[in-house]
Amino acid sequence: MMPTAFKHLFIVLLLLLSVLAMLLASAAGSVTLSPEQWWQALVNPSAEHGELVWRLRLPRALAAWTVGSLLSLSGCLMQVLLRNPLADPYILGVSGGAAFAALLGMTAGIASAFVPLLALAGSLASILLVFGLARGEGPWSTTRLLLTGVVTASGWTALISLVLALGSDSSLRGMLFWLIGDLGYASTPAWALMILTLIFLLCLGLARSLNVLAMGETTARLLGEPTRRLLWVVYILASILTATAVAIAGNIGFVGLIVPHLMRLLVGSDHRVLLPSAMLFGGLFLVFSDTLARTVLAPRQLPVGVVTALLGVPLFLLLLNRARLKV
Amino acid sequence: MSRLLCDGLNLSIAGMHVVADLDLELEPGCFWGMLGANGVGKTTLLKCMAGLRPAESGQVLLDSSPVDELPRKLLARHLGMLQQHTAYVFDSSVLQTALTGRHPHLGYWQREGPNDVAQALKALAAVDLDGFAERSVTGLSGGEARRLAFAALMVQAPDVMLLDEPTNHLDLRHQLQIMGMIHELTVTANGAAIAALHDVNLAARYCSHVLMLFGQGKWCAGRTTEMLCEASLEQLYGCPVEKLHSQEGPRFYPVCRS
Repeated sequence: MMPTAFKHLFIVLLLLLSVLAMLLASAAGSVTLSPEQWWQALVNPSAEHGELVWRLRLPRALAAWTVGSLLSLSGCLMQVLLRNPLADPYILGVSGGAAFAALLGMTAGIASAFVPLLALAGSLASILLVFGLARGEGPWSTTRLLLTGVVTASGWTALISLVLALGSDSSLRGMLFWLIGDLGYASTPAWALMILTLIFLLCLGLARSLNVLAMGETTARLLGEPTRRLLWVVYILASILTATAVAIAGNIGFVGLIVPHLMRLLVGSDHRVLLPSAMLFGGLFLVFSDTLARTVLAPRQLPVGVVTALLGVPLFLLLLNRARLKV
Repeated sequence: MSRLLCDGLNLSIAGMHVVADLDLELEPGCFWGMLGANGVGKTTLLKCMAGLRPAESGQVLLDSSPVDELPRKLLARHLGMLQQHTAYVFDSSVLQTALTGRHPHLGYWQREGPNDVAQALKALAAVDLDGFAERSVTGLSGGEARRLAFAALMVQAPDVMLLDEPTNHLDLRHQLQIMGMIHELTVTANGAAIAALHDVNLAARYCSHVLMLFGQGKWCAGRTTEMLCEASLEQLYGCPVEKLHSQEGPRFYPVCRS
């Protein structure tokens, strides 16, 4: 953990790096730009490659940043909600519902522009399903929520496999890309940025309550938190974040698990620092991963989910090993 | 100063009666000790007093308002509880954890100010944790974690303190220190406290009153000097007890009769 004085500097640094990463991402890709061409295009959108930089690469970089931030913020919330540092944004089945609806749409041959809407509808259906089923009385709400969510997620997985098994070969590739997570068709996510900003501000207001909640439900109640309400608010906010990310880019794995974990190690568990750090670093991480995905095998593009997993798995195992050594 | 009142309280856990028709008033200035065998329901009763679990009948009142109807935040400003166990899933610093005691006193967007930090540091120093502020809670020993939890309660500074085995994991000196602090808070700051205890002699030394839970809902309560005797303790624990006279008053020891 870094000294308290550095933590605010760290957040500013992440913000600057995010902007820098997005600018650099606009320079890289299957069409090679010289630094001069790139700069010309950047300062003058009507220059030769202005279209490429301003209409394709920057929007995609912004989409990547937004999705990474959404997933990381959601991951932080899920971890507090379930009081488990290994929880991720997909654990409660939000992405499963989205994937099932999206894949069903693809099988039915629906235009790709409508896939995000279907995904959003699917995840909302899943959120409501889990919310409705898990809303019992008594002190077991967290365990009950976890079990309901995990079982619902398994149900979605089965349905997704069914769609994959019955779907036509021609649509299989698109489905696979969607399932792994792909920013290839991501549009300019103005609405997603708005959702991100709004929920981030709400969470920042809740940050001290989240700190207390992380110490356990009973402790939080004794310290004055109406925990039942707080838990449901956190569940709904985290789910909306996940649903938004999944609607844009499919099931990109590991960002929402690793980034909160990494940030906890670096800045500690105070959510007033953790939430902004994780959000910014998550965006940065996904811009980096997506740029790699676009350039490593250019002109072929990899699904970004493959890159995040390939970067994420070793990093995660390293962290896990380190955590075990610490205990 | 708030007072806590149990009014005709009936409480059971898993079909077992904890207390039947308990009438008890935790008045400012009183330090109650709660004695009883393992599993008799001491924790359950404390949780009920804290509004964490409902009673079958009767009610717990904080200044004439039922605790389970008060908003938790308002309740937490007047009533605090030291739980029997504290487990930390997420890492945090000792100071950060002590500062959580200020949570009910702060508003939605409010941050802890220098005053809050000063209070937390003072509480940490009072339980011999000065110099621990930036340490991680996951690296604390059992006794240190226990003292930290108590420091957080001091920072919360409630009028009514419910303590579930406050001396668990503590060495002799710190047992006396923590019990002394609770005693001090009830006497000088006019707070009210009730502590579930297994050490009869700590109760004899520090508590003004004692509540005994015998099981099957049977209980009795009164002044410590009148409550603690060989007969009541033998009935309470099902083991012979001998009374010895020390300079500080009567002390009780279990006797081994094989």
